Amino acid sequence: MTALRFEDVWFGYGAVPVLEGIGFAVEPGEAVALLGRNGAGKTTLTKLVMALLHPHRGYVWVGDRITQGRTPEQIAARAAYVFQHADQQLFARTVLREVAFAPRQLGLPPHEIEALATDALRRVGLDRVGHEHPYDLPPAQRKLVTLAAALAQQPRVLVLDEPSQGMDAPSIQRVADVIRSLASEGVAVLAVTHDLSLVTEALDRTIVLDGGRIAYDGLSATLVTDATRARQLGLGVPPGVQLSLRLDLPGRPLRLADVAAALRAPEKGGRSAG
Amino acid sequence: MSVHLEQVAFRYPGSGFDALRDLSLEFAPGLVHLVTGRLGSGCSTLLLVIAGLAPHVTGGSRSGSVVTLGLDPGGSGRRDLAGRIGLLLPTPWTQLSGMAYTVAEEVAFGPANLGWNRDRIREAVDGALRLVELERFADRDPRTLSGGELQRVMFAAIVAMDPAVCLLDEPAMELDLETTEMIYQHLPALARERTVIVATTDLDRAVRVADRVVLLDGGSVIGEGNPADVLGTARAVEAGATTSAARIAYLAGIAPTFPLTVSAAVERFSR
Repeated sequence: MTALRFEDVWFGYGAVPVLEGIGFAVEPGEAVALLGRNGAGKTTLTKLVMALLHPHRGYVWVGDRITQGRTPEQIAARAAYVFQHADQQLFARTVLREVAFAPRQLGLPPHEIEALATDALRRVGLDRVGHEHPYDLPPAQRKLVTLAAALAQQPRVLVLDEPSQGMDAPSIQRVADVIRSLASEGVAVLAVTHDLSLVTEALDRTIVLDGGRIAYDGLSATLVTDATRARQLGLGVPPGVQLSLRLDLPGRPLRLADVAAALRAPEKGGRSAG
Repeated sequence: MSVHLEQVAFRYPGSGFDALRDLSLEFAPGLVHLVTGRLGSGCSTLLLVIAGLAPHVTGGSRSGSVVTLGLDPGGSGRRDLAGRIGLLLPTPWTQLSGMAYTVAEEVAFGPANLGWNRDRIREAVDGALRLVELERFADRDPRTLSGGELQRVMFAAIVAMDPAVCLLDEPAMELDLETTEMIYQHLPALARERTVIVATTDLDRAVRVADRVVLLDGGSVIGEGNPADVLGTARAVEAGATTSAARIAYLAGIAPTFPLTVSAAVERFSR
């Protein structure tokens, strides 16, 4: 069954139209980037998924459940949402309690709650800070806490709003690894981002919003290797991809580690440097 | 030097460790200084200390000497430094005055509180909005803007006060690519008559305009100097604070100094 579907969705704030006739579907196991300029309506779209907002026209389906007439709580059993800013989301006194909140609300037995929370923290690399207060962590680590909380919810659809914002390179790599691993487990991931490197590392499909409509829906690899098209949509080509293209590396690798591997192995057609 | 730190340590209230340790640094006007490091390395805290908000607002304890524009921002100099230090937070909605119904009023809030006359305020607001290409947003309610638009408004609000020291904490965090490039392109001009210190992990873009880099790890300085010497090292890669091109070069196993930009990497790998 399709994990997420928008059917001719229209939405605006007052008289200001934001989304005009949006239609797309995301299948289980797909990892999709949602891109667009500031003010394009990306965050609005994610709030429509979570029933935090409702379309003025059209329908949003999360699995077999339509959001129309439903509350966020009724959608939460199927979809988890990681807010753009962790401070909008965190409330518990310890990281572990924060991450355990959703499984506890689902009425799971204590040993399962603990196992889910511990596993989620391990996946985002925060297993050592379970007893810290979330606000004692730096902002970007707080964001990883909210990601862990979403993982502990075991969602079929995971919506991420700027998951790598403000993070250093190792943390972004961690987020990319988590997204790839979730997709391989059949979770549908929809991630709002401006980070084209994250797109290249973890999100195989890209939807670009422009002027309230979908301006691109296709393979991320196609978009990030087409500098002209990317520029028209207000996007850029990530440095690793630029390097791969400019050096015409064999197989045209796009992910950073693959580009490095191609450069490391002259015997395989890669290059070396003095 | 407009900013001078001598053996500075800072600890947040209730924390069991120092967020900054034994920092001795100088920041000269006329340069774009980058402060970077892995998450939690102390970059944002350093800006708060220079601005005098740590410990005055955050609480906690500071030792050592901090002199900003000849005054101690954490003590007796706080009042005289009002308007002379501009701090842009990475979370622009927390920086809104809450007193403005329009973007123009928001940008005017700082200058108005500095007691400027109307003409000077109007000129400063118009100039700052023009700089970030937000003139058409002047009459919009700031609470209706997207995160990226709001970050540009707050950048304009800082510039409008014409501070001698600009402290910019992740100034492009909320911005799309085009706006990020616009903001970064303004930094060298902004630094011409000021001290500009940018704390960021977005080094692919920031490094293009940086004159000097301070690399922090665990609250201590582990590198300081021109960008190539500091960020093109294995130490910077291992500290999680360098550019994509340098990371690729490191992973590809070439010898330092690593190229920081794509063009430099193309040249290096084409030899």
